[in-house]
Amino acid sequence: MKMDFDKWALAAAAVVLAVLPFIASGYILYIVNLLMIYIVLALGLHIVIGETGQFALSHAAFYGIGIYVAGIINNAWHPNLVISVLVAGVVAAGLGYLLGALAIRMRDIYLALSTFAFGEAMQWVFLNWNEVTNGSNGYQMSPAWFFGFELTSDLRAYPFTVLGAALMLWVTVWLSRSQLGAAFRAVRESDVAAQAMGVNANVIKRVAFMCSAAYAGMAGGLYTTFASFIHPESLGFWTTILILIMIVVGGIGSVRGAVIGAVIFGLISELLRQVLSFQEIIYGLILIGFMMFAPRGLFSGRRRARKAAAATGAGSSGGTQA
Amino acid sequence: MSVADIWLFLQQGVLSGLVTGSVYALLAVAVVIVFKTTDVPNFAQGEIFMVGGYVALFMILVLDWHYALVIPVTLIAVAAICALFQRVVMERVIASKGVGVQLVIATLGLAYVLKGAVRQTGLGDAPRSLPALIAPDTVIIGDAVLTRLDLMILSTALVVMLGLYVLFNHTRTGKAMRAVGMNPKASQIVGVSLVRIRMLVWALAGLISAVAAILITPKILITPDIGHIAILAFAAAIVGGITSIPGAIVGGFIIGVAENLVGLFVSTNAIVVAPFLAILIVLVVRPQGILGGKAQVKKV
Amino acid sequence: MKFNAIRRAAMCMAIAGLGLAPAAQAADPGITDTTIRIGLFSPLSGSGMAYGFDVVNAAKMYYDKVNKEGGIHGRKIELVVEDTRCNANDLVAAVKKLVEQDHVFLLNGGSCSAAVVAAREYVERAKVPFFMLNASGDGALYPPSKYIYGAFSISQYAVGGSVVEFAVDHFKAKKIGYINHDDAYGGWNQTAAEFQAKRHDGVSLSVQSINPSINDVTAPMLKVRAADPDVLLLTTYARPAALIIKKAHELGWNKPIVLTVTGTADLTQLVENVGGAAALQNFYIQDVVLGLPSDPKMQWVYDMYKEYYPDLAAKPGHPQSYMPYGLPPAMTVVKALEDAGPEPTREKVLAALQNFKLETGVMASPVEFTPTDHAAQKSAIYMKFDGQNRELIPGTFKSAWTYTPKQ
Repeated sequence: MKMDFDKWALAAAAVVLAVLPFIASGYILYIVNLLMIYIVLALGLHIVIGETGQFALSHAAFYGIGIYVAGIINNAWHPNLVISVLVAGVVAAGLGYLLGALAIRMRDIYLALSTFAFGEAMQWVFLNWNEVTNGSNGYQMSPAWFFGFELTSDLRAYPFTVLGAALMLWVTVWLSRSQLGAAFRAVRESDVAAQAMGVNANVIKRVAFMCSAAYAGMAGGLYTTFASFIHPESLGFWTTILILIMIVVGGIGSVRGAVIGAVIFGLISELLRQVLSFQEIIYGLILIGFMMFAPRGLFSGRRRARKAAAATGAGSSGGTQA
Repeated sequence: MSVADIWLFLQQGVLSGLVTGSVYALLAVAVVIVFKTTDVPNFAQGEIFMVGGYVALFMILVLDWHYALVIPVTLIAVAAICALFQRVVMERVIASKGVGVQLVIATLGLAYVLKGAVRQTGLGDAPRSLPALIAPDTVIIGDAVLTRLDLMILSTALVVMLGLYVLFNHTRTGKAMRAVGMNPKASQIVGVSLVRIRMLVWALAGLISAVAAILITPKILITPDIGHIAILAFAAAIVGGITSIPGAIVGGFIIGVAENLVGLFVSTNAIVVAPFLAILIVLVVRPQGILGGKAQVKKV
Repeated sequence: MKFNAIRRAAMCMAIAGLGLAPAAQAADPGITDTTIRIGLFSPLSGSGMAYGFDVVNAAKMYYDKVNKEGGIHGRKIELVVEDTRCNANDLVAAVKKLVEQDHVFLLNGGSCSAAVVAAREYVERAKVPFFMLNASGDGALYPPSKYIYGAFSISQYAVGGSVVEFAVDHFKAKKIGYINHDDAYGGWNQTAAEFQAKRHDGVSLSVQSINPSINDVTAPMLKVRAADPDVLLLTTYARPAALIIKKAHELGWNKPIVLTVTGTADLTQLVENVGGAAALQNFYIQDVVLGLPSDPKMQWVYDMYKEYYPDLAAKPGHPQSYMPYGLPPAMTVVKALEDAGPEPTREKVLAALQNFKLETGVMASPVEFTPTDHAAQKSAIYMKFDGQNRELIPGTFKSAWTYTPKQ
């Protein structure tokens, strides 16, 4: 049954993650920290694209906002990292809600292009607003704090990134099973039908943008727990595309897919660095290969939802809706 | 700044802008015809353009062929690569039930492969040029200066656009392409092969991109990263109307001129962000672009 | 519920993570009785490849030579090489791997300034000596860090200062046109250029900052022409530089143009890219090595490359023009290790670098470090280039800018 697979996978992951700090080098923990960030980013994009069907390609911009907000707060006041992460998430969420207005005016390719343009404009701001972000010099950030404990290494940040990712995963599953989640999916299927069911599609779209931006902002906050430097070059279109690839390869509409996709492509991205000159070709072939032979992704959220609905219809108890 | 200066800036900015704009226009047309017929924004269009330049470069530098041979062979080669990609990869994605976003990611994969392949050849280590197609004499128009190559770029682009007009309005294949763009199912019913038309459209887009590359490489110099010019092509397509070919052309010229005017009258710094602001403004105020007809309301 | 499992595991990890304080290091890693392990990194792929590929080869060949001659105090140098793709995140990952996985004694790497700055805080926390390769890396050198040494090719500040000094000295220029990039690099060279200009009476700069991916240089070039300068200084990369030189020629603007070392990677290609020698009538280039490749004083560098990489040397485009820049950092590392004595520790190596001067026989001036300045090289030479021949202008031109800490 599906439930057993989830339980088994999570338990295995928990064991591996618990043991890792005792046996692995700081470099490996750094990679895992990055993967945790990717998981949160992928979950955020899943909410707006997978659950609500709104093609928002501005994800990296909110990630960047989260990083700078948390970094600036850390440098100025050294507060508890929970505060930095939350403030980063809130600021990003606010801007996300505003940007959601675009989703009301347009859809599909037009929404994708306008959110993409917003993302690029935001990156230009990061590069040029020297007083705040230090522009193309990059921004140096001091370590995060947690009740008198300073996070000066990947090892020390590790429990927090893992906990952060676990928490956001839990929130995502909870959201998915809630009424809001049902509203997201209703809007994804059809604006008009959603309205007919009493769902205010416009508000829901903005809420989806807001949630997705909150995730990205918090991912940015978590990033500052183990990274001491950020340069705007990693806050643009290509980062958003990487996250998009993660949820597409994992399976659009599936939470499992988002997590697995994040881990797979996060690892591919790092492993390719070892391959020297063929990296771009290999990466391109991987993308083409996945799209040719498994375009729906490794886990398909919608297919299983339909199966589950059919199963319930036939009288047997269905699987979970995660 | 004196009035004479402003007048000079305007003349030069507009004229030079029209020249680069004509290349943006060609690339925008390539993007639009693929989008209209297959509903896929081709994120590899810039890299296809880049490959066109490098294929020509390879023939001239390594094989030492004459331009008369290089140009047709390059056009055929690029068109073939595009047709092959559409036929082998994109059709397979469609057959495996992939839709919009998966097709777009497939084009991204193509972009990476093309870029990586060109870097492997070693030709990409320094920015390169193609030998001049025409003597580099300058031509004075008013207070502004253009070169004979500039005029050649402009006129060739216009000829290509004229050719496309004839193709789409007066040939069976062209009309079939338009039909598929408007209503694929109906076209199929009347006997049009969707697979064949999609292949031809990709080949045509590749051909146009290769023409653009041969024209403008001597002017902007080619590197494996020159594919970023596709952003400007997309901006042009959006401004003109992403479902309108004349719109793409007008959009291209507008973006080319706007780049220069922003650089001259605002700041050189702002040039790079101007296309994105243009995209945002057009999509919010008039999403169908300048020539896109009525705003499309997709059936839900 | 499945999430209890997560919560339990998370709590275990939290306790584990908090409890695991870093153990005090008794001896430095990466050093045994017979070996010293050095972490070498640079862009070996991607768009920055031309800045790193042959530079790493040059460093490798020097370390090899030292090994052949017996090593340093009897220890052979062992190299671990990583690719940074000229990208900040990748560079940090490469450095973390080298330090924590491969346990290197010191780091020698970095060809891209923006990327190199990313590693600064990590290197300081990990207390690992870090010698850049050919990156200017000014962002990581100012304010100076005990652990970081760079600008072996030339400090990007010095690029700006030196070229202005040349313009004033050689052309007696008063109004100077200056085109740089709108990135960190451009900001550094502009700061020192303006500083240098202020040192001379009546000299002023008219600056245009352009994006490296610019396609149409009509706007910046028209504005430069309108300012009517006596000379135009370009601190851009190769492609925008070629576009500007071409445009200047088209517009009939024929005052002197000086191109700094950032844009001079492939001069033969430059001639082709600007449409021929006609555009280079009044054209000068900056260099940071002590002579032309044809200069007998530089012969040993190219002979060494041919000896170690005969296959590469036979290919066109090799050695890449920045190759010699890999030698001064390697030479500095070796000298510092030698000065640190027969039982080197990281601290001893750093102490040896406090007041350091080394004539490399490669660069325009010796490598020089003081306690307040870890940028190795600040001088440049200039040549007139007409498309075929390079004619050396006598003299080395040093940048005057020095770092003053913010109060």
